[in-house]
Amino acid sequence: MVGELIRLKLTLQRHARSGTSAVAMALIVGGTLLTWYFMIAAPDPAVRAQLWSLATAVWAAGWIMGPTLANGVGALRPQYFALMPLERRRVGAGLLVTAFVGVGPVLTLVAVASLGLHAWRTDPATLPVALAGAAVLWVLLLSLSRLVFRALGAAMRTRFGMELASVQWGLFMAVLFFGWMAVQPAISAMASLPRTGLGAGPVPDVLAALPTGWPARAVGAAAAGAWGPALAWLTALVAVTAAVALAAAVLSAPSTAPRNMRRRARPAGSRVLDPGRRSLLPDTPLGAVVGKELRQWWRDPWRGLEVRAAMWAALFMGLLAWSVEPYAFLAPFTGLMMAMVMTLATANLYAMDGTALWMAVVGQEPGTARADVRGRQVAVLALMVPVASVLSALFVVGTGEHWAWPAVITGMVTLFGVGSGLSILLSVVMLTPGVDPHLRVDANDSGDNQLQVWTALLGTPLLSAPAIGATVWLYLAGAPWWSVPVGLVNGLVVAWGLGRLAHRRLDSRWAETFTHMRHGREAALQALPERGSWLDSLQRGALNTNEETRPKGT
Amino acid sequence: MCPRFAPDETSGMSTADDAANPPPALELDRLGKTFRDTPAVDGVSLSVPRGSLTGLVGPNGAGKTTSLSMAVGLLRPDSGTARVQGVDLWTDPIGAKRLLGVLPDGLSLPERLTGGELLDHWGRLRGLGREVTRERAAELLRVLELDGPDADGVLVAEYSTGMRKKIGLATALLHAPSVLVLDEPYEAVDPVSARVLTTLLRRFTDGGGAVVVSSHVMALVEQLADRVAIISGGRVLADGTLDEVRGDDPALEDTFVRLVGAREIGEGELSWLGN
Repeated sequence: MVGELIRLKLTLQRHARSGTSAVAMALIVGGTLLTWYFMIAAPDPAVRAQLWSLATAVWAAGWIMGPTLANGVGALRPQYFALMPLERRRVGAGLLVTAFVGVGPVLTLVAVASLGLHAWRTDPATLPVALAGAAVLWVLLLSLSRLVFRALGAAMRTRFGMELASVQWGLFMAVLFFGWMAVQPAISAMASLPRTGLGAGPVPDVLAALPTGWPARAVGAAAAGAWGPALAWLTALVAVTAAVALAAAVLSAPSTAPRNMRRRARPAGSRVLDPGRRSLLPDTPLGAVVGKELRQWWRDPWRGLEVRAAMWAALFMGLLAWSVEPYAFLAPFTGLMMAMVMTLATANLYAMDGTALWMAVVGQEPGTARADVRGRQVAVLALMVPVASVLSALFVVGTGEHWAWPAVITGMVTLFGVGSGLSILLSVVMLTPGVDPHLRVDANDSGDNQLQVWTALLGTPLLSAPAIGATVWLYLAGAPWWSVPVGLVNGLVVAWGLGRLAHRRLDSRWAETFTHMRHGREAALQALPERGSWLDSLQRGALNTNEETRPKGT
Repeated sequence: MCPRFAPDETSGMSTADDAANPPPALELDRLGKTFRDTPAVDGVSLSVPRGSLTGLVGPNGAGKTTSLSMAVGLLRPDSGTARVQGVDLWTDPIGAKRLLGVLPDGLSLPERLTGGELLDHWGRLRGLGREVTRERAAELLRVLELDGPDADGVLVAEYSTGMRKKIGLATALLHAPSVLVLDEPYEAVDPVSARVLTTLLRRFTDGGGAVVVSSHVMALVEQLADRVAIISGGRVLADGTLDEVRGDDPALEDTFVRLVGAREIGEGELSWLGN
């Protein structure tokens, strides 16, 4: 069965445009070369063990994050095999094995196998320990990757699971962000790293304590003649790997549980048809869109995860910055972090609704496009801004960095405005459809957004430049509070202007936008003028860069 | 128990000239669409008179859905156009779309809303106002037997296929259109709801409205429609009243098979099945 599954995976990948994106491939190749460079260049065994543990920790982070951000991991969906007369556990195990096939997994094996060189240079007798440890660690990394990917899908079936996943995801993003700050001084001295290692401090201890550091510890123990402890480290690694692989196999099995979130009571705010019931939102198309969007953000687990993870990430980043001495001054700016995460998370917003766009197309009235675009902007801001404001205020007061008030307020109004305008324009112009919402089960089902993310990362500072410049200048000039109105104008102009571009484009291309959503990129390219405007060029760029995930069936 | 969803006369575009010779309710005028050098629809023309129920039948991949998508504004044709009561859909989309009620097949809806919320959203987006929306939505949910699930707060994502059809139908009817374009409206709908639906469509055409229904089920079309169009390979092969199209054939299915061509299963083929 496994052979069949692997062949099926390779066939599916052949029919997709490309398996792994160029960026991901560059990172994987670069990571492999760097891992080997450390093992070749570092003369001291202790430093080599340290650097190898650092590299494998980074590999693990990459394998945990990568699949949920990149595309194509869900090529073989467990549901495809739900009706086959096969034992579900066996299908799960078979699907887990297919995760080890591909360029990424092979290069990862090459990278972790560099432990063999370390062992050879330390004491050739320890080579078997190193190779065994590297092989087991390889299984651990890929199983862990699949476990996180599938567990996220499973967690989305309950409200509690969604909340828990949000907390963990937020924490993970914050730790990654500050993790590099902790090792960044060492990395910036890359040339001397093989000589000096990571130096003193908690970082090497933490790295050695993680399971990704255990194979190096086993080699170290064996080299010192302590074969008992060496075997113990390897045994512990095997035990952890077996547990993770088992859990991943179980979660990879076709699920027979309902896909939707379980719910005990009638959803809040659903009694809209009760006579005489009053609504807080105006009785207009704009009010209708805001109401619909707020409910979807609140109730759709995948959208909920985006919002909640952004909030938790901001909270944890603030707390981490506050606790790490030289970075405490950053803590008040945690709300700005949230604005940035909001921009990235909503840069492919229209794809989240999939073909449900048909309703706006057939219900087109003179103001429908405007209401649709503005309503979505308002709903996202209404969810994010209050939380970001409270977090910012708490961190400014908590850290006592009161000088930061004007900069924080300016930054918030600027970044939320710029982010709102930029993300809605990118959502319309660079739309990349994913799996239709009623068929969605995995983290990357809502459409590839790599080009939107890069454009937003570049565009945000560019479009915020007036406010940033004014803030710096006015702080230096001793009148920091005057930056607030500049930021307000900057934010409003971008939110309004780019939103206007978005709804005018939508209004002139309703049928084309829907066709793109329904029939995919070929039909979209066909409907794009050969020598069009700069918005057409942006769209063409997204069509040629972003990957298309359109699996069918549940 | 059925509500009156007679066409909204105020939204009609008729003038004194038109009164003598009113344009057809829906007119597909030489529609053409090519995907990747393959013509999906190749010059489809069809005229749907007011007060009629037209069945659109054809094999899988015949171009039914593509033609209907171009007729309601979901897909821009490469050539030709569609007119709703004389209003050109591609030059005056808003005027034409106001007259249309549309039920597409197999598309998403705002999945995390209840049926009631979906209709409330839809009515207000179309500018019906809260009170009118509320009254009509409650009545539609009751008639289509979706009021129970709505009282329980069931979300559209949790609906069965048949329930999705019914809530889609409710969105098509809510603004009291003059022309209904329904893609496979009976698919997966239970017999009781199907009867309600038939009564509802009859009442709609009796009030002067026009309905186009696409379907694979010949018996259904034969029982329901007074006009029929057979479409295959992106072209209209036959079009007219049921009797005109059927001619001397005993049943519509025979006409369909005669026009489209049938693949017979030979004696020895698939002999392993059932053994």
